[in-house]
Amino acid sequence: MITIKNLSKEFKLSKEQRKEQATDRKFTRAVNDLNFSCKPGEVYSLLGPNGAGKTTTLRMLATILKPTSGRIEVCGIDAVKHPREARMKIGFLTGSTGLYARLTANEIIDYFGSLYSVSSNTLKERKAYLYDLLDMNGFANKRIGQLSTGMKQKVSICRTMIHDPEILILDEPTSGLDVITAASIIQLIRDYKAQNKTVIFSSHIMGEVDLLSDRLAIIHNGTLKHQSTMEEFRKEMEGQSLTGAFIKIVQS
Amino acid sequence: MIFKIFKKELKETIRDRKTMLIMVAIPLLVFPILINVVVGVSDSFNESASEKILKIGIIGDSNDLIVKQLKSIPASFGPKELIAYNGDSARLFKDQNDEVIDIALWYDSGLEGILAAQGTANVLWAIDNTNIGYSERIKGYMNIIETEERLKRYDELGIDEQKLQPYRITYQNTASDRQMLGELAGGILPYIFIAFGFLGCMYPAIDLFSGEKERGTIETLLSTPVQRWKILIGKMLVVVLSGLTASFSALFGLFVSIEFLDLIPDPTLMAVVSKILTFPIIIKLFALLLPLTVFFAGIMIPISVYTKSFKEAQSIITPLNIVVVLPAMLGLFPGIELNYLTACIPILNIVLTTKSLIAGNLDYILLAISFLIMLSVAAAAVFVSIRQFGKETNILN
Repeated sequence: MITIKNLSKEFKLSKEQRKEQATDRKFTRAVNDLNFSCKPGEVYSLLGPNGAGKTTTLRMLATILKPTSGRIEVCGIDAVKHPREARMKIGFLTGSTGLYARLTANEIIDYFGSLYSVSSNTLKERKAYLYDLLDMNGFANKRIGQLSTGMKQKVSICRTMIHDPEILILDEPTSGLDVITAASIIQLIRDYKAQNKTVIFSSHIMGEVDLLSDRLAIIHNGTLKHQSTMEEFRKEMEGQSLTGAFIKIVQS
Repeated sequence: MIFKIFKKELKETIRDRKTMLIMVAIPLLVFPILINVVVGVSDSFNESASEKILKIGIIGDSNDLIVKQLKSIPASFGPKELIAYNGDSARLFKDQNDEVIDIALWYDSGLEGILAAQGTANVLWAIDNTNIGYSERIKGYMNIIETEERLKRYDELGIDEQKLQPYRITYQNTASDRQMLGELAGGILPYIFIAFGFLGCMYPAIDLFSGEKERGTIETLLSTPVQRWKILIGKMLVVVLSGLTASFSALFGLFVSIEFLDLIPDPTLMAVVSKILTFPIIIKLFALLLPLTVFFAGIMIPISVYTKSFKEAQSIITPLNIVVVLPAMLGLFPGIELNYLTACIPILNIVLTTKSLIAGNLDYILLAISFLIMLSVAAAAVFVSIRQFGKETNILN
């Protein structure tokens, strides 16, 4: 379970940024008073155009960024006050995530397993399970620099899930992937949901959102523009395509 | 957790060929190659310079007294060919300009008569001093000729040469060979270590921070439950180890050059060098280098954390090398010594302490001050690094 209340984030503008944006303001508000929650067994989609504040929101949920104000609760833990405890419950993946090119896939998974204090027996079991699930056995001992984009993304997903997190936060996880790899990730999200885990993900691909989401939120300029169940959203579409409805909400 | 981070970063660094080249290969090979080249070039130059037949153009003819005296000087003082110009001074100096002859010798036309009358004859040697060794050889010839003529004159005047010498002066060097070596060459050793230590730190410092930001791996690392300061320290240890490895490789290369390549032919000097390159001195040297390397890591990491790309970090850190090397160069000047003031100047204090350590006249109070100063600046640098690494605007592009 993840709950956010009145979440806001401001960034300080440098002199150059103020000049570029032709403003005297010293701060810019990337996320403005967001409220939502996501229950176990639920897939929650965060939609919005580029620069809407999706990544900033997800980074705050993953406790990489500290909110300017507001509250984040992860499995009953105050994530702002106790970020380390919250991180133990979270698996965070972004589409732009890089991997250590000079290490093998196996070394990376072992490394992250150790950072999450996963015991060696559990690590062995989790690796066997995830390697089979993601079809990674063929390249587990190859260095990342030698792998294709799809293989790398599988390693990233395996790395994200190695500590069996309660909450999965995925920032555009299928970005730049071929349809086959993207389909395996979609399947994985479904499996995760079936295990009664919480999934929050952001995406530009409306088909994915339609396929996976139980609930969705649309944000624009850091502000929540729409929040509903997927079913309610479909009813509100009034014959429009998902993309059309999304654009309409953003432009309203 | 720090060790886990350290282990992984070290493994990655070791697998980076460029870093390994700068960390181990170049420092290890620089001394054997440099010393071999310098000694080889110097030997071959000395050999060819001593074997060179100097073409000396003389203003008079071959029967002149000075020419005869020159001819009588044995070839062991350097071979020579004398070419008479029979009073044609214009051609003499033109030929020297045109490099037909190496040196021109002009003297008073009645030189023999002047000397016979116990007068003072003018002798002019026109030498192009860019030709190293010519001037020394001519001075050697003239010393023989002049001494011979002077002693002849003493005899003619009935003067006892001893009576013209009121003092017998001895300038005794009270410094030991080790002290001399410490003073003259002692500064070079820490200077080299500083340069290599800095270089050794540079690539890992950039790669482990700016590089990680650029490759998008830092975000993943920050989403783990590891505290940020532990991530920083784990990475910093790799940077420090790289700097020390580069310094150690340079020292090892120097040791191999001296011990096994037989590059110091003088046995006395070799004995002094062997006395310096002992295990306790090397340990003390590394104890001094440790806070210095931490300091280097501490000034590079905040820059690397702040910059957005490997290239940007490199463009800032590379010129910093000059700022760091400048105080190290000051320590090379013979007059600058370790005292209460210089012990408080970071980097310079390490150079001067090492100089004293090599010379064997180390003041332990000044050593303690230098060490504490370096520890303080290193601690301050680590503190700044932790603060910079804690700023979310710095660590995410």
